[in-house]
Amino acid sequence: MSIFEYNGSALIAMVGKNCFAIASDRRLGVQLQTIATDFQRIYKIHDKVFLGLSGLGTDAQTLYQRLVFRHKLYQLREERDMKPETFASLVSALLYEKRFGPYFCQPVIAGLGDEDKPFICTMDSIGAKELAKDFVVAGTASESLYGACEAMFRPDMEPEELFEIVSQALLSSVDRDCLSGWGGHVYVVTPTEVRERILKGRMD
Amino acid sequence: MKLDTSGLESVAPFLGVSSELVGGLSGAPYFELPNTANFDRFQKDAIQMVKPAKGTTTLAFIFKEGVMVAADSRASMGGYISSQSVKKIIEINPYMLGTMAGGAADCQFWHRNLGIKCRLHELANKRRISVTGASKLLANILYSYRGMGLSVGTMIAGWDETGPGLYYVDSEGGRLKGNRFSVGSGSPYAYGVLDSGYHYDMSVEEAAELARRAIYHATFRDGASGGVASVYHVGSEGWKKLSGDDVGELYYMYNPITPSTVEQEMTDVAGP
Repeated sequence: MSIFEYNGSALIAMVGKNCFAIASDRRLGVQLQTIATDFQRIYKIHDKVFLGLSGLGTDAQTLYQRLVFRHKLYQLREERDMKPETFASLVSALLYEKRFGPYFCQPVIAGLGDEDKPFICTMDSIGAKELAKDFVVAGTASESLYGACEAMFRPDMEPEELFEIVSQALLSSVDRDCLSGWGGHVYVVTPTEVRERILKGRMD
Repeated sequence: MKLDTSGLESVAPFLGVSSELVGGLSGAPYFELPNTANFDRFQKDAIQMVKPAKGTTTLAFIFKEGVMVAADSRASMGGYISSQSVKKIIEINPYMLGTMAGGAADCQFWHRNLGIKCRLHELANKRRISVTGASKLLANILYSYRGMGLSVGTMIAGWDETGPGLYYVDSEGGRLKGNRFSVGSGSPYAYGVLDSGYHYDMSVEEAAELARRAIYHATFRDGASGGVASVYHVGSEGWKKLSGDDVGELYYMYNPITPSTVEQEMTDVAGP
C-alpha cells in the first residue's frame, strides 16, 4: 500500500445554490488496523472558508497548522479574511515549496467568495489546482466517490437536499473501501449559517 | 487390499539440474535440487508473489455442547471491497464445516473436493469419516501442492464418534488439533475477545453470543473484515446456522446512541 493509503481518508466537496457542502469520513487507521473513529479532517479557516485534508494524517495536521499561521498573519496585515480563491493559491504555493519532498496530502478547499458565490477546488500533493463547478473528491475511496457524485449530482440544490446527496454519496462510497468510513462528518455552509452534522455509518 | 496412495502423490514438477552420473553409481537415492539462487527461501518467495492477503476473520472453538464456528463475509482486493456477502463457512457435509481464509477459489474448490473424498470414504467403509481423517486428507493434498501458491487457511470443525473435533489446516501443509482457533487478518482482535470470554461450560446461547461478539469486534478494528457475522453450531445432530447479523447494525445494538442536547453557537454573520 502506498503512503497515501497509510491512514485512509475520504473527502467530498459539492456546490449547491448559494451554498456548499464539505464532508469527510472519520477513520484514522494504520494500514488495516483502525485506531480512531473520530479523526478530524475538515478544518474551518474562517466562517466562509473550509479546508479538508486527505492522505497522511501527520502531514495533514502539520499543513493545517502552517496554513492557519499564514492566514492569521494575513488577517493582521490586511484586516480582513482571505477569499477562498486566494487561500487556494496560498495552499498551492505552500505545497510546491516542498516539490522534492512533498507533503503526502491532497487538500480540498471549499468556500463562499465574492457575493457569496460558492467556490471549490482540489489539488494534488504538489499543488496542481483543479477548479470545478460541481464537486471535487479526494482520498482512498476517490474512484468510488467520483462515480457516486457523478450519478447523484444536480446543479442548484438547496442546502437540505445538498446535505442528503453528499451524505449518501459519501456513505455509499466508503462502504466499498476498507480504509475509510466508520462514520461521516458533513458541513453545509450558507451565507448565514454553518450546519455541522455527524453521520451514522457502518462501523466495519 | 490395495492402499489408496493418491493423496500422497506429489504433483509438484521437478525443476533444475539432474545429477545423473554417467555409468557411475546406480540406484543411489537422490533428490534433484531446484535451480534457484536461494534454496532456503525460494518456496516462500514464490508464494509471496502470488499470495493474496488473508483479509478476513474466522474463528472456531470447542465447548461443552459441541463446536461453534463463526466468520465475517467481506472480500477485499487491496483497499477495495469486492464483496460484503461472501459465504466463508463451507458446508462439507451435514456434520462437518470448513472455514475459508485466503484465496476464495482455492478454499471453495478444495473443500468441495474434500466433501467428495469424505463421501467416497463413507461408501467404501460403510461409516462416516472422522474429523481427524478428513482434516488429514485435506492436509496431505495441500502439502503436495506446497510452494505452488495455493493460499488456504482453514479450520475443519465437526462431530464424529469421539465427540466434537476441530483442526486447523493451511496451505503451507500445517495441521494442528486444538480447542480454539482464529484465522485471518482480524484474528488478533477476535482472539482478544474470545480468549477473555471463553469457558468450557457455556450454553449454546452464550457461546453463540461470544462468537458473534468476537467477529463483531474484529470487523470494527480490522479494515479487511466486515459485512455479516455468521455463526454456526456443530452438535451431535450435525451443524445448524444460528445467526447472520449485519455488523453495521450490530455496532448500534452494542453501542446505542443516546441523543444529547448539543450546544449550538450562534454567531452573527459579519458584514462585508
